Amino acid sequence: MHPTNIAMISDFFHPNVGGVENHIYMLSSYLIRRGHKVIVITHSHPPDRVGVRWLLPCLKVYYIPFPAIASSATLPNFFTFMPYFRNIVLREHISLIHAHASLSSLGHEGILHAHLFGIRTVFTDHSLFGFADAASILTNKLLAGTLRNVDAVICVSHTGRENTVLRGELYHQVGDDPKSIMVNDNVYVIPNTLVADQFQPDPDFVEPPGQITIVVLARLAYRKGIDLLVATAPRICEAFPQVKFRIGGDGPKLIELLQMREKYRLQDRIELLGPVRPTDVRSVLTKGSIFMNTSLTESFGIAMLEAACAGLYVVSTRVGGVPEILPQDMISFANPDADDVFRAIEEAVKIVSMGRHDPLRAHARVKSFYDWGAVTERTERVYDSVLKSESRSLQERMHRTMQLGLFAGPIYTTILIVECIFFLFLEHFWPREDIDYVTQHWDDRNLTKFDSGQADYMPSVAEAQDTSRPA
Amino acid sequence: MSGVEWEKALWKPLPFPDNYIPREAFLSSLRTNPNFQPYTYWTLVRLSGAITQHLATLFTFLAVYVLLKEGLLDSRLLIWVSIACFILGFAVWTALDCTIRAQVDHRARLVKATKSSILLFLALMSLSPVLGTLTAATSSDSIWALSAFLFFLNVILADYSARQPGLHVQERLTSVLSMNAAISSSVVLASRLSDDLSVFALILFAVQLFALFPLLRHRLQASQAAVQYLLTVSISILSLLLTISISHTVTTIFAAALLSVSFVAPGVLIWAQRFKNEIRGPWDVAVPKIN
Repeated sequence: MHPTNIAMISDFFHPNVGGVENHIYMLSSYLIRRGHKVIVITHSHPPDRVGVRWLLPCLKVYYIPFPAIASSATLPNFFTFMPYFRNIVLREHISLIHAHASLSSLGHEGILHAHLFGIRTVFTDHSLFGFADAASILTNKLLAGTLRNVDAVICVSHTGRENTVLRGELYHQVGDDPKSIMVNDNVYVIPNTLVADQFQPDPDFVEPPGQITIVVLARLAYRKGIDLLVATAPRICEAFPQVKFRIGGDGPKLIELLQMREKYRLQDRIELLGPVRPTDVRSVLTKGSIFMNTSLTESFGIAMLEAACAGLYVVSTRVGGVPEILPQDMISFANPDADDVFRAIEEAVKIVSMGRHDPLRAHARVKSFYDWGAVTERTERVYDSVLKSESRSLQERMHRTMQLGLFAGPIYTTILIVECIFFLFLEHFWPREDIDYVTQHWDDRNLTKFDSGQADYMPSVAEAQDTSRPA
Repeated sequence: MSGVEWEKALWKPLPFPDNYIPREAFLSSLRTNPNFQPYTYWTLVRLSGAITQHLATLFTFLAVYVLLKEGLLDSRLLIWVSIACFILGFAVWTALDCTIRAQVDHRARLVKATKSSILLFLALMSLSPVLGTLTAATSSDSIWALSAFLFFLNVILADYSARQPGLHVQERLTSVLSMNAAISSSVVLASRLSDDLSVFALILFAVQLFALFPLLRHRLQASQAAVQYLLTVSISILSLLLTISISHTVTTIFAAALLSVSFVAPGVLIWAQRFKNEIRGPWDVAVPKIN
């Protein structure tokens, strides 16, 4: 694929920490290694993280001065991002934007505006949503409006794809029956992945004879199924005197865990580690044999993958995309039910104590399954097909937008028209000649010349540093 | 490509493009309307009884207010009726208690109820001169609008659910708000009355209807269907009889409202049920089962 100028747009990015943030960073750095030019556009984090910054390896980040309203997401307002967006994509000569996360309004706005500049769009959805409550109905309609004219959508699991397709109305009718629907051709499944080398099992770690450590590493919140953990941990401790728990993470359910530990006098059996930094995840994981996950919903389940990669046997609830990520012999499934979780743990304890699970072999297998290089290549293929496809005319866009629904259709069409007028207004009052175009970009070769010692630099979020170099 | 089956697995390298999915595999785990329960008409009619009863008490109150204001009803009579209602209601309440459990100290409860009712009685009586002149400076039009709004709030927020006997349930905020709206509305209406005794009588009656009757209604709702029907029909007829002496137009409107809530609305709900399309799949947040 030809080197392309790509802009990643999302509300969620460094300095925040999380699955989406890490995904964007890793994908960008691998795309840079493959010769593309990548920039990231996100909202600022005052007072320190404002303006234009560079992250290693030569990833330029634009921090737009928008305030975050809740959980680091900005307010969806359809137009205010346009002046910034126009300036950035023009000066950086962007030809493709890749928006991430369905609750990121910056990403949505980028997709809506991109056609004015002849830029193609790709969207990645990272999470699962329901359909029943009022908040879902509203956000799903917003998503459907945005994805009406997107060029390609990437989902992280097959379950995620079914969910996104239904939420974003990315299907077409097959035959005469309106119930018989099929997914559009531009919806792809590319799994999330991890850097296997960062999760090496500890070869020196041997459990003391007759002891099995169960590791739990999660945000201690309802959605992570901490209620199930609270209900089953005392039973597990009673049934298996050799089992110890190491629980890492922080959240609203911490108190319930503490109360449970107090009530059953399990202070010497259950160790609570508190919040764990991303850099310490491996060291926590490699001090155990079984990883327990009780999530009630999970789009992909990267935590389980990291644990399996670090050589742990995984026990998980059968929810969302979790059943797709690992082969049957590396993971035990349970229904979200206290009795069944207990049964699955029993099974796992048996497998581990009989020595039927080899950590080093598990690591090698996960390493062969998941690799950022392969994921980047698959993403590139999506970009390539998007760039080669025919783009939609404004008339076609309006026609498609009108089909959104009785109310949403006219509203989104109005937004589309006002957006075009706003664009013409900007073109007139801030002519393109006045934009300060980027002429030189830092790339790998440039950097290698600068410091040859860094040539084999292995990117990772933990080690990302800022160089406050002006753009 | 032949020979290799497509699988819903992310870890396995499969020789298919990333946007490929076999027809039959797409949405194979989707379930629509898993907990679908078709309603039956007469069950809905019975359940709508609570709303009909509430509306009927409201109409009764309004009719009584107009009669009182026009001087067609003696305020002393209303006070006696209120007291009689209270005693009757308390008797029914105690009888209901007896049917479920015997170990309630009836004597202590009786003493407590008498004490608090006398206290409320006296407090209302001493406050009625104040309440009667409370909104003297406000025009009557504003009062009608305000009370209409408050009664509307009362109807919207009221708790129409049945209460299982013996189970102590925390009052919901909306039902408390609903009761407050009704009482405030009666207070502002009462302030339009001419003498203190009528003010007292009306507010006492409002307390019976909007604070105490809903409590009894929740209990009765859980009892037999016959009781439910009898109560609904009798209150509806009472409210219509009281209204008919005032205005025939209003009576027609009230009757239409009561009939549509009891008989038309359930039919509309059953008709609307055919459009129900609930989508369930593996992406839903699971409900943990903890014993």
